[in-house]
Amino acid sequence: MAIHKILFASLLICLLIQSSHAATKERLFSDLEKSALEDTATPSRVGEGVGVDKLSITWKVSSTATKEPEFKAIKVKLCYAPASQVDRPWRKTENELFKDKSCPHKISSWSYDPAMKAGQSFDYTLERDIPTGTYFVRAYAVDTKDHEVAFGQSTNEDKTTNIFSVQAISGRHKSLDIASVCFSVFSVVALLVFFVNEKRKAKIEQSK
Amino acid sequence: MGDSTGDTGSSMHGVSTDKTGKYDLPVDLEDRATVFKLFSFAKPHMRTFHLSWISFSTCFVSTFAAAPLVPIIRENLNLTKQDVGNAGVASVSGSIFSRLVMGAVCDLLGPRYGCAFLVMLSAPTVFSMSFVSGAAGFITVRFMIGFCLATFVSCQYWMSTMFTSKIIGLVNGTAAGWGNMGGGITQLLMPVVYEIIRRCGATAFTAWRIAFFVPGWLHIIMGILVLTLGQDLPGGNRKAVEKKGKVVQDKLGKIMWCAVSNYRTWIFVLLYGYSMGVELSTDNVIAEYFFDRFHLKLHTAGIIAASFGMANFFARPAGGYASDIAAKYFGMRGRLWALWIIQTAGGLFCVWLGLANTLVTAIVAMILFSLGAQAACGATFAIVPFVSRRSLGIISGLTGAGGNFGSGLTQLIFFSTSQFTTEQGLTWMGVMIVACTLPVMLIHFPQWGSMFRPPSTDPVKGTAEYYYVSEWNEEEKQKNMHQGSVAFAINAKSEDGRNAPSTITV
Repeated sequence: MAIHKILFASLLICLLIQSSHAATKERLFSDLEKSALEDTATPSRVGEGVGVDKLSITWKVSSTATKEPEFKAIKVKLCYAPASQVDRPWRKTENELFKDKSCPHKISSWSYDPAMKAGQSFDYTLERDIPTGTYFVRAYAVDTKDHEVAFGQSTNEDKTTNIFSVQAISGRHKSLDIASVCFSVFSVVALLVFFVNEKRKAKIEQSK
Repeated sequence: MGDSTGDTGSSMHGVSTDKTGKYDLPVDLEDRATVFKLFSFAKPHMRTFHLSWISFSTCFVSTFAAAPLVPIIRENLNLTKQDVGNAGVASVSGSIFSRLVMGAVCDLLGPRYGCAFLVMLSAPTVFSMSFVSGAAGFITVRFMIGFCLATFVSCQYWMSTMFTSKIIGLVNGTAAGWGNMGGGITQLLMPVVYEIIRRCGATAFTAWRIAFFVPGWLHIIMGILVLTLGQDLPGGNRKAVEKKGKVVQDKLGKIMWCAVSNYRTWIFVLLYGYSMGVELSTDNVIAEYFFDRFHLKLHTAGIIAASFGMANFFARPAGGYASDIAAKYFGMRGRLWALWIIQTAGGLFCVWLGLANTLVTAIVAMILFSLGAQAACGATFAIVPFVSRRSLGIISGLTGAGGNFGSGLTQLIFFSTSQFTTEQGLTWMGVMIVACTLPVMLIHFPQWGSMFRPPSTDPVKGTAEYYYVSEWNEEEKQKNMHQGSVAFAINAKSEDGRNAPSTITV
């Protein structure tokens, strides 16, 4: 199945100071420094006709970032836009980070060092198990304890701008369809053959 | 000799006309086994038992095969919560009708053909999962697969041609319980098959489709085994049995009226909807629940969900057995109390399951809930045979259909809308179980009493004979059609409890 074109956007990263909570369970999204990273994500289609589409993603640390020294790694994830979360509680956005399910798809991650302030630019080929929906890209900055300290996303706070849509593969294959039909026909025919055979044997017995 | 169809139309495949009675098990006058030897495969009795419960179990496997894979399927087909819930409702709705039809099919073609036809003709519905590309297709296919749960009827019918009535309770309870286990087996089987296919290189959205071939093949294999190894009757022709006066040709309209005009029938329809019904609903939602709520891997959620259905192995027979023990001391009143206690306890554990916040408490609550609900199923069918002698088949069929109806209704109210989270749905389902089990207090047998009322002291109307014979009118009694009921009433004196006579001769 063809994948639609997706829009290009810039990625910036900013820092956010994490409130000091020891328990992982209480780490909240609202505590992360917003816009510490600047992100852009631009979709593009490769070649003509059927192909696997790519996202061109860039991220960089924003000039307004304050917790930059704490960054140990940058994790970039594909997140669901609100339209794709409607009536799907398994994709719900929760403030408690460990409960939040809105960003389940990992794109990539890098170890961070201060020389990387200018950011990275790379292409991500969409995995074959990404479902149909509308998405944006978010980058989390994590510290040495693997706790998120800051983030940035390719859309605004209301998640309304720069949303791109993905069309999933169907998972169907012609060979599967054919095999399915073959076994189904076999089942019905085998039943009829047995049934007719037994009736025939019965008639032969009777006429003896 | 070569009359190759028995007079019900059931084939005489495998039936030997050699009447020297060489059976592995002791038999009664109708060649039905009087003993239940679990680990034997001897023909015809025990072989039939094993063919029967395994094919019923296969149908449970395919009907609930989608449930543990929903976390993958919902992403592939872009399903909403409503779609997932509606598919669950659809999966149990089809068999409401097919179970009613299967009774007639067994009468016309015999249970062997009934079972084989259904199992092999529903194989294409299982294979057609590979074509599904959206919510509508998914719901339709689950609906069609669900028809095969009518093998419950062929299974029980087949058992009653092979095993004598004294042990039919245990035999049917074991066959039904082990069949229901399929709902548990599938929660283990499908995620494992899916994982293996993925490791072999398939993408997620293709792997689950290929996984459905496994239950499809099981259908074909079981269908062929039933056709080649099974036989309808242990020996002997139904017409000969009829001539002895033990089987009566009855009228469908009369039997139906007898069943629907008895208020106890409808109470059991409701009760079974909240023991078997909630079991079916839980089979559909529990794997997804553990996956989402406790962030488990798919096959871990599958293992936990499987233990719910697998508890049927001993829980359902245990429920029947508990009912028998209660009857030994307290008669029918004991059976009613046992049913109420077991089913209410199941409901309370279901409430606890919805409220459980940690994985361990959730698993404990789930297992206790499964024991309660499944034992209640066994205890229900320990009482149903006493509701009516004339209409036992139809009442059993209606009760069974009630189970599916209850399941569809519960899934529709609690698990198909965004109004309740799944944990809230489970809690409210538990409350509904407790509420819908209360009507068991209304079941009153004049000859044995009810939970709170003693038996009637009327010398005529307070007897079992009166209760069972009153199902026939004067004209029918003139034709001696009611003799079976008289014999049944005498045997049923065991339900008097401690006051039962120590020996019963017919």
